[in-house]
Amino acid sequence: MSLPDFLRTTTFRWALAVASAFVLCTLLLFGFVYWQTAAYMTSTFDDLITAELSIIAAEAPQQQLQHIENRLRNDPRRIRIAALFDANGHRIVGNIESLPPGLAPGAPINVVVVRVDNGSPETEEVRLATDKLPSGQVLAIGRNVDDIAEIAAIVRRSLTLGLLPAFALAIVIGLVLSSRVQNRVAEVNRRIQRIVAGDLRQRLPIRGGDDPFDQFAVSVNQMLDEIETLIHEISGISDNIAHDLRTPLTRVRVRLERGREHAKTLEELRAATDQSIAGLDQSLAIITALLRIAEIEHSRRLDGFSEVQLTPLLREVGDFYDPIAEDKGVTLSVETPGDVRVHGDRDLLFEAVANLVDNAVKFTAAGGRVVLALAPRGDESVIRVSDTGPGIQEIERKAVTKRFYRSDKSRHTEGLGLGLSLVIAIVNLHGFRFTIADGPGCTIEIACPLAR
Amino acid sequence: MLLWPHNGCKKVSRIDRVAGEQRRSPSAILDREAVALPLGNESMPRLLLIEDDEETAEEIRAEFSERGFNVDWAVNGIEGLDKARSGKAEVIVVDRLLPGMDGLTIIEALRHEGMRTPVLVLSALGAVDDRVRGLHAGGDDYLTKPFAAVELVARVEALLRRPAESHDTALRVGPLELDLIERTAKRGDRTIDLLPREFRLLEYMMRCKDQTLTRAMLLEEVWNYKFVPQTNLVDVHMGRLRRKVDEPNEPPMIHNVRGLGFILREPA
Repeated sequence: MSLPDFLRTTTFRWALAVASAFVLCTLLLFGFVYWQTAAYMTSTFDDLITAELSIIAAEAPQQQLQHIENRLRNDPRRIRIAALFDANGHRIVGNIESLPPGLAPGAPINVVVVRVDNGSPETEEVRLATDKLPSGQVLAIGRNVDDIAEIAAIVRRSLTLGLLPAFALAIVIGLVLSSRVQNRVAEVNRRIQRIVAGDLRQRLPIRGGDDPFDQFAVSVNQMLDEIETLIHEISGISDNIAHDLRTPLTRVRVRLERGREHAKTLEELRAATDQSIAGLDQSLAIITALLRIAEIEHSRRLDGFSEVQLTPLLREVGDFYDPIAEDKGVTLSVETPGDVRVHGDRDLLFEAVANLVDNAVKFTAAGGRVVLALAPRGDESVIRVSDTGPGIQEIERKAVTKRFYRSDKSRHTEGLGLGLSLVIAIVNLHGFRFTIADGPGCTIEIACPLAR
Repeated sequence: MLLWPHNGCKKVSRIDRVAGEQRRSPSAILDREAVALPLGNESMPRLLLIEDDEETAEEIRAEFSERGFNVDWAVNGIEGLDKARSGKAEVIVVDRLLPGMDGLTIIEALRHEGMRTPVLVLSALGAVDDRVRGLHAGGDDYLTKPFAAVELVARVEALLRRPAESHDTALRVGPLELDLIERTAKRGDRTIDLLPREFRLLEYMMRCKDQTLTRAMLLEEVWNYKFVPQTNLVDVHMGRLRRKVDEPNEPPMIHNVRGLGFILREPA
């Protein structure tokens, strides 16, 4: 990468921005320190000047002269200013030539004076206050302010010495930090590109720390796990669909072919055609059932929900299946306490319960019993369908909820293997809970929160 | 929404039926002669078919022509609406998705103009929502593709024979009498003891006497059942009712139309 290119990178720009902000902060900080120090020193000077001025002013004239002379004598650093002028402005004693023009008695201010205590006169900026004595004389007390200028110089020097290296350091640190982030983002991007290209086993890198980046990567990885599982499930389902559709379709094909070749009478041809139509109908029924499940699973339409009375619904299902159970020699009983209302879609709930009862009756042998019950449990109500059939093995319980699953025991029984998937889709749409409970035979429960 | 009074053979309150009825009717096509259609003696009923797929249209037209219908075919929505507006058709079969104008738009336009010609909607879209939309738009029945031709014929027949609104308190077919107030049934002097569900079934069959009622139609109308159960429920219920209505020494009134459904007729 050439230098101009580098200067245009986001990494560099960020580093530069951070360093500039750092410099600005430093400047402000130093300025503040200087300003505070100078203000403090000035006010200290002013206090001293004012105090001395009032002390000398209160003294007798002879003592005043003495005091001023003593004061100037004991000043090896030559920082003190003191002088007494007569009413006409002529110097009586002191180390400044004259009173600066326009200086009124009062608080100390910065003025430029001409010093006369070092052979030749020299100008100097001082802090000076004056007081008019009762005799008409003017007393001036002051102090040299080079100290404050000195501090300003020190601040400037430290800034020039410290700021440049600090700025450079800030840029370097900024570059390092932001390039690390940049690298991680680039790495994440590379992995995502690979996932997009179809490599679903890719995961985002994790450094093992607890920084937000890792937390983010962990979440994304969980999502990817979920997606990978789903995709595998879908491909599994597609295989099942393909199998379940191909089987009847192949049979149809064979039958039609055989009928065409071998049928000797119209009756035989008709028989072959009838069987073929039955096979086609089975394939259509599978497609219909799958579409219906997909439709329910993707339904976001909850506004069609209303209050549903479960007791009459269960009685209706019982009434509907009663003759079938009776023909099969199975006792079907409905046990419902007082009325229970839930929030839901009546037709779908009817379909779900009917499917469960359909299954229960189908898998229960003559002399057995199917109970459709409604029982309160806490703040929810449980629809329970139990039978005295062969039941579902513990290890099969998760599998039966999958599409197309048919337990080995049920292979010979008619059905599409989609019933429970449909029930579960309906239960999930309602936000109810579906469980296969322990017990002799099969017990399936749908737990519904009560409508408020 | 109930476009037709509750005592009609077809009411519109049903929402859904998953295609699958055909599963049990493999031999239906071959049993045409078994499907008694007394309409053949009357003047030829006029049917307007609005369907863009030529092959499907030809099959449907052939089927209905053989059954004594006068079929008028419109190949797109605009032509269909024009023909429907002329008011010649007694019943309309319209495809849901059409070039030019959507099937539902045609129905809405007709209903808006006050035409009450019964309409059956054909659709490859089987979704519940779509069925609801079809019926809400003013359709009287809805059939999902693919369907058995006989199922379509039975449903069109039912639409044509929808009885006028009646306030009768009793129904009578030959010796069979149903008291709708007392909820009692008699065949001649013999009292028939019916469970409520059997009463409902018999009531519907008597209102639609002499018509072939498919299993899907019975599920929709009698049980308001919106899906096809895996078990052959209708046959079991019908078997029980038949044992009560037709005793061994009596001429049968409930007949099985092989592979298609059932029909209630006066004893010969």
